[in-house]
Amino acid sequence: MKAVILDGIVLGLGFGLLGVGMTLVYGLGGVLNLAYGEVAVLAAIVVAQAMAGGIPTALAAVIGVLAAASTGLLLDLTLMRPVYRQSGGNKVLLGLLLTLGVAFVIEGVLTWRDPLGALSINVAGKPISILGVPLAVGSVWASVIALAAAAALLVFFGATIFGRAVRSVIQDELGARLVGISPALVRAVIFALSGGLAGLVAVTQSMTAPLTVNAGFNLTVTALIVSVVGGLGSVAGAFLAGVLLGIVDSVSAYYIGRYITSIVLLGAAVLTILVWPRGLLGGGQG
Amino acid sequence: MTSGPLPRRLGTVVAGGRGRAFLPVVGAAAVILVIPQIWFAGSEYTTGLAVQALEFAAYAVGFNLIFGSTNQLFLCVGALAGLGGYATGILSDHASLPIWVGIAVGTAVAAGVGGLLSWIAVRRSLGVIFTGIVTLAFSLGFQDLLLGQEHLTGGSTGQVVNGAAVSLADTRLGGYYLFAAVVIAFLVVFRVLQISHVGWAFRALRDDETAAELAGVNVARYRIYAALVGSAMIGLTGALYAYSDGFISPPVFAFDQIDVKVLVLVAFGGLGTLLGPLIGAVVFAFVDNALVNSGQVRELIYGAIVVVIFLSFRGGFVPAVVNLAGGLARQRPAQGE
Repeated sequence: MKAVILDGIVLGLGFGLLGVGMTLVYGLGGVLNLAYGEVAVLAAIVVAQAMAGGIPTALAAVIGVLAAASTGLLLDLTLMRPVYRQSGGNKVLLGLLLTLGVAFVIEGVLTWRDPLGALSINVAGKPISILGVPLAVGSVWASVIALAAAAALLVFFGATIFGRAVRSVIQDELGARLVGISPALVRAVIFALSGGLAGLVAVTQSMTAPLTVNAGFNLTVTALIVSVVGGLGSVAGAFLAGVLLGIVDSVSAYYIGRYITSIVLLGAAVLTILVWPRGLLGGGQG
Repeated sequence: MTSGPLPRRLGTVVAGGRGRAFLPVVGAAAVILVIPQIWFAGSEYTTGLAVQALEFAAYAVGFNLIFGSTNQLFLCVGALAGLGGYATGILSDHASLPIWVGIAVGTAVAAGVGGLLSWIAVRRSLGVIFTGIVTLAFSLGFQDLLLGQEHLTGGSTGQVVNGAAVSLADTRLGGYYLFAAVVIAFLVVFRVLQISHVGWAFRALRDDETAAELAGVNVARYRIYAALVGSAMIGLTGALYAYSDGFISPPVFAFDQIDVKVLVLVAFGGLGTLLGPLIGAVVFAFVDNALVNSGQVRELIYGAIVVVIFLSFRGGFVPAVVNLAGGLARQRPAQGE
């Protein structure tokens, strides 16, 4: 049981890292990026290609994260511009449809060029014992990276001037503009950051299991569920929800069966929507 | 979007000219029923494509009722169709019930699930974002369920549907007329809803939800109605696919096999319009056939079509062209004066 829960926490930190990129973009632009999982897959394929080309793993991972960040930036600067000009329900809808189209395009390109593509990063070493439970080195690395990213994000949004500027835009775009903050700049940075986080997810996920070229849909849906449960727009909420859902996932996989877990996660999301419509740590954003 | 022709239609309804509202349906029905005789009845291949076009037109009418009429982005058309198809397959296979029981149960289950998803998303008027999330998560969960419950669904290898109409699949023309009847019936239902008080409520809540609520329209209830009826249409089509094809497997009802295409063709034909899904499905059948050998590039092209259409023609490509043509026709006499 202890091992199952610890596995769940490892899984959940990955979920949290996955959800945080999705939730940030929503909090800021009011856009759910349905291409998010595909951006992660894109990063994975870039890393895999770079590694196949003889580039050291760490450098290849950096290249992958940068590629994903640029993809996010590119999306913001091109397709998302008309979305921001809309308001209310139209904005949400146009954002969903356009990013869904982008998801098809990226998946089409990747499966066309590299139908069997997959990223698998082997971290060598003996299992590390934590609380008496042996954990694979890859899992430990992935969790450490996720925790470090969570800490960095919390410091960024809590203590830096730019982070506070981002939060001010989330709270009140007009007010932020009145005190001299450019929402467009903040959005571009956050979109790039979200893309970079998707790339980081690709790297950490492939440390525990191979990330294949058709994993995008799965990643997107998981990220959506995590961000809904955590509260759209909340960084801490995404990680809290990620860990909780990771434990739920791991326990239900152990006691009921692997294939039922996505139904269990869906149930958790539905329950959250019905009981706490704003999510666990959701703020004033609707 | 519908503000232009609306007053005239209201006029015909009030003046007792309800019959005229069904003219487009009758016209489309006539074309659908006659066209095999003058074109492709001899070619099994072309007939197969036409059957597929009608099948997708049927899915699209259901999706159009949910999304086009009430703005609920249901990203689970494939999963709802799969509920219908698998209910048919499982009940005839494991419970040895007559096939029509399976079809009826499948339709009812799809309607129930669609209504439930809608209820979850609209309950707290959370709007389009939660509909998208919940339905997308349901799509993924349904696929996993199919793969997981191997003893019932045959897992990834799929299953043969007992009692399926093999003759329909063989001659093809039988399948064509089956789906033709389905599409025509769906169009009639769609039209009836459009000209009844339900259609007025749909238009009101789509144009301005708050105003509709203030005017006494129970927005949540009409959304759930639309989801129930539309999901029933999708489930029935999926069940009839299982009945006429005789074989179902998870990829048949996968997100990228059904939802992507339905979205593309509804966007092309015109959201919320009566004949848009049918026109979209016919055009799409040609495009799809032209791309049949291009493998994964297809998905790329569909994605690009979705992006371009929603960026440029919010109401759909066909309505945009029709409006443009109408505008030109009106302009010409004006210039002559």
